[in-house]
Amino acid sequence: MSTNRRRHANAIPIASFVTWAFVGIIACVGGLGYVWTKNQLYTTGTEIKMLERELADLRNKNEVALSKISQLSSTAKLQERFDTGFIKLVPITNEHIVVLSNGAAPQNKGELRSISNQGGNE
Amino acid sequence: MNRTARTRALTTCCLLASCYTAFSFRLVQLQVTQHDEYAARAAETHVNRQTIYARRGVIQDVHGEPLAQNEPVRTVIADGTLIKDREALADVLAPALGMERSLVLEKVSREVYSKTHKKNVPVPYIVLKKDVAESVVSGIQEQLAERKMRGVFFEQETTRVYPNGHMLCHVLGYVNGENVGVDGVEKTMEQFLRGHDGFRYTERDRTGKEIVPYRGQEKEARNGCNLRLTIDMGLQNIVEQELDAAIKQFRPKSATVILMNPKTGGILAMANRPNFNLNVQDKVPLDYRRNRALSDMVEPGSTFKIVTAAAALTERIVRPTTMINCENGFMASCKLRDHHPYADLSVNDILVKSSNIGVAKLAIQLGDQKFYEYVRRFGFGERSGVSLPGEISGIVHPPHRWSKISITRMPMGQEVAATPLQVASAMCVIANGGQLMMPQIVQDILDEEGHVITHFAPQEIRRVASQDATNAVRNALVDVVSPKGTAALARVAGFKVAGKTGTAQKYDEKTRLPSHEKYVVSFLGFMPAEDPAFVALVLFDEAQAKPGQNYGGLVAAPVFSRIGEKAARYLGLVPSPEEPTGSIMAGQNSRDR
Repeated sequence: MSTNRRRHANAIPIASFVTWAFVGIIACVGGLGYVWTKNQLYTTGTEIKMLERELADLRNKNEVALSKISQLSSTAKLQERFDTGFIKLVPITNEHIVVLSNGAAPQNKGELRSISNQGGNE
Repeated sequence: MNRTARTRALTTCCLLASCYTAFSFRLVQLQVTQHDEYAARAAETHVNRQTIYARRGVIQDVHGEPLAQNEPVRTVIADGTLIKDREALADVLAPALGMERSLVLEKVSREVYSKTHKKNVPVPYIVLKKDVAESVVSGIQEQLAERKMRGVFFEQETTRVYPNGHMLCHVLGYVNGENVGVDGVEKTMEQFLRGHDGFRYTERDRTGKEIVPYRGQEKEARNGCNLRLTIDMGLQNIVEQELDAAIKQFRPKSATVILMNPKTGGILAMANRPNFNLNVQDKVPLDYRRNRALSDMVEPGSTFKIVTAAAALTERIVRPTTMINCENGFMASCKLRDHHPYADLSVNDILVKSSNIGVAKLAIQLGDQKFYEYVRRFGFGERSGVSLPGEISGIVHPPHRWSKISITRMPMGQEVAATPLQVASAMCVIANGGQLMMPQIVQDILDEEGHVITHFAPQEIRRVASQDATNAVRNALVDVVSPKGTAALARVAGFKVAGKTGTAQKYDEKTRLPSHEKYVVSFLGFMPAEDPAFVALVLFDEAQAKPGQNYGGLVAAPVFSRIGEKAARYLGLVPSPEEPTGSIMAGQNSRDR
């Protein structure tokens, strides 16, 4: 066998190796990328679910709070608190109310008019 | 390669090819031919349709105070197939849910026979408790997570809450276990309050956890509309307070108070006794649930005289000053009596003195048919059309079914049966100048943000009486609430009040004769008489008043006065300069009917 032929027979096909290596790496990266993306998708899904649950919990708590507020500020509850003396308000009787009627428009500009008490008996 | 080797290789290749061909056929069969069947089976296991529940609409009063709303609650569900330590689970759940430990243990240990496994297996869906508060659920969830227990789930639901409890119970009504309105506004406005549930298709893994990326078709829930009523809770509270006080004093069998805006027909307040708590209404007798303002009929008594007077004046048969002979208290031809003997009374005074003979003569002058027409035009004998369930039409017989004395009895409110709402609506006709307005309870339908979707404008049913006639009746009714009238106790300091008392004898079921012990007493009035802000009816059935004092002028009129005084202050009505503000003494006439 001539030297030239032997050299040719033992030559390493670098280009081919590089090509296959490149294809292999691409396949590996692609595969890993796919797995990673899928994993991310599931993780994000789980996070979405968790956030949805938290949001629902917050909404529920908000609704419970609103319901409690409206129960505590309802007319019936306020009346009950007033009756038990919790709200220390004193009912104003008619004798203590002065009703001011709308005064008639002055006939001359600058004319002063007194306020009349139409409530009556004070 | 020799022949044997080649044959072997060929045989192996053929076998492999056959094998792969068989696999391919099976694959095609599974993936193509039976695709739908297997896909359906897979979906059955992993895909489920999750309902997104719509929120029921809120009911508010005219100022936006919530009267009926939703509160999130949970239903606690146990999955027997996932529970490992039942005893430990019962230890956690029993105290938190307020249940007996043995009961929880019994529930989570339930088993059913499985045909597939041919043995008893744990039940996968056990309802442990409904309507559990969110705070309780949070506590249970923490404990379960801490002890790493599985098999307990919490289904989201809502419960209807009525912040005012007893107040307005007959108007609001309530919902059943499926959140469907079964009474009151909850029932009549069900289609608007209900909303529409949405859905979402989800896929689950083998542990039951949702795979969020594989979510399928989704439709948002459409929440129910909110309602704004014509009810004013400030006025409702005044009415409830005064009604409670009157109930303590007179202990009637039942009572009704209605406040209406005569110009719009809007119901401002409506209360009945007996009543019940909307939040705790499991064992409430059916009789307590009835809205007596619409479903009970009573003989209106003398309050009905306004119809006769307005009809005669509209037809111009008489004028307010026309004198009518009242036969000195006894009309022999029809055996009709007055409480006091009167010789001649003007039409105005017939109302002031509440003369039975006087109104009977007015009706006789009108004639059977004409009088009947006016009674019907005032809304008696037909449903008003208010958006509340259970309304009855009352009874007004046509003239061909009348007896000879019917024309003398009907004008004073006998032989006629009307609902309290019809009576109040009739007074609205006098107060607003002659128009019969449709009683209204719902003012607006609102969206979630509070924008008005539909506004229910006041609706005039028909013109019933002339302006002149109603003015004349109004003037007479002002005199009724004067010291010379029958309802002096209905006066409100500083305001001109117009009104009419009513005292109707009930029929004794045993003797089939009018009872001398059982009365329906009422006062029907409005104020201020010049520009009415509200019409009020106060009605007591079988009030336990002292003997000789069971009259509308003595029992119902003072309640009207107290309601009127507080309502005037609440509404900021300006007192009339002509009216004194001092204390009010009852006249002797209050004992009249």
